[in-house]
Amino acid sequence: MISVKGLVKDFDNGKHRPPVHVLKGIDYEISAGEKIVIIGPSGSGKSTFLRCLNLLERPTAGQIFFDGEEITASGVEIDRIRTRMGMVFQNFNLFVNLNIMDNLTLAPVKLGLLSKEEAAERARALLKRVNLLDKADVYPSSLSGGQKQRIAIVRSLCMKPEVMLFDEPTSALDPEMVGEVLDVMKRLAEDGMTMVVVTHEMGFAREVGTKVLFMDEGKIIEENTPEGLFDNPQAPRLQDFLSKVL
Amino acid sequence: MGELEQKFAAAFLTEGRWILYFKGLGVTLGIAVLAAILGVIFGTVLGIMKLSFREDGKKTLWNILATAYVDVIRGTPSVLQLLIMWFIVFATWNNGVAVASISFGLNSAAYVSEIVRGGILAVDVGQMEAGRSLGLSKAMTMRYIILPQALKNMVPPLGNEFITLLKETAIVGYVSLTDLTRAANQIASRTYEAFMPLIGTAVIYFVVIKILTLLLGVLERRLRESDQR
Repeated sequence: MISVKGLVKDFDNGKHRPPVHVLKGIDYEISAGEKIVIIGPSGSGKSTFLRCLNLLERPTAGQIFFDGEEITASGVEIDRIRTRMGMVFQNFNLFVNLNIMDNLTLAPVKLGLLSKEEAAERARALLKRVNLLDKADVYPSSLSGGQKQRIAIVRSLCMKPEVMLFDEPTSALDPEMVGEVLDVMKRLAEDGMTMVVVTHEMGFAREVGTKVLFMDEGKIIEENTPEGLFDNPQAPRLQDFLSKVL
Repeated sequence: MGELEQKFAAAFLTEGRWILYFKGLGVTLGIAVLAAILGVIFGTVLGIMKLSFREDGKKTLWNILATAYVDVIRGTPSVLQLLIMWFIVFATWNNGVAVASISFGLNSAAYVSEIVRGGILAVDVGQMEAGRSLGLSKAMTMRYIILPQALKNMVPPLGNEFITLLKETAIVGYVSLTDLTRAANQIASRTYEAFMPLIGTAVIYFVVIKILTLLLGVLERRLRESDQR
């Protein structure tokens, strides 16, 4: 479903300093229905990798294919592709000037995919599934972090995406709210959604992941099933990393 | 009648002189409001132009043009700009209020563009990313998400800009338009008595701006309340 070939990303670091090489050549295939969990130390490039998948970051070199179409080719309407890829951010990024219902219905309605009534109906059904139907008319500022993140997931789902990208979705949450967000993500996984998740939640990676990737210094160092990766790590850097986080 | 009362009468009442102050105030407010409307519209365009970058991070032509415009306007005195508009650009147009409004509006736009740019930059970048990740275009995200939030940031400095503009219109006396300040000056020279007309005029400016400040405070509070719901 998503195919990544030779992905390189450099960040310019001003005129007088050399660019930072964040991704140093990544090749990977993601099939429909997979739940890919990406782990690794901070600065390893895992968030940048995720953000390249929907071109929030423009790759410096390499190709990304979505459903057979090269989205890194020039002239591709990326807005159209993005309607099929949901994204959930570390900091929720709910639209603070809109109430929850408008947060959920803005994109499908303005992009002409659904009528206002259809969008509202879908939004209510999804809100009900995450037990937040009573929050439809409030503004994001009155919600807790966990509630905001569940709404952010629902906002993406209102677009009926084929794949969901999660960029450290629980890292900005108070510990007691992590569970409620992971529960929603687990249910989504059970429903068959293709997911790519950057996270520090090793329990989630083990339980939900079909594959776990360990990234360090801009490369995929090791890739395996959760059991294989956690119980029988090969690379010294992965062993070192796991000894610190587990 | 005491001396003070006599002076007051000469400055404000004799020959219906209070009408001159009112007419002058009308000219002052007329120019300020028209210039502010032009300044906000053109300034918003300039501000958005100044935020336009190419994919490789370099400025677009739009950006370079807007930046040059702001540089020129900020780098020259507004009196001079007014004189240039009056005697060169619109030399044959005799609608003084219109020429002055355009001149002040073009001047104000430069300052407004920085307010707009700052207001937009103050909005969390995550808001734009969230909009784009849902498939909304940059323009749509700007319109529905970024600008409504930026507006809230922009109200206090825009109020400030309008107050500055209102007072700066006093230089239209240079091109023989009779605004409030010039009216006071004319009356002072006719009555050989400067104190009453000038201090009285200062009070009028002060009261107008005080009222404006209060209204802006109300507007700001209203806008902030919508955050707390």
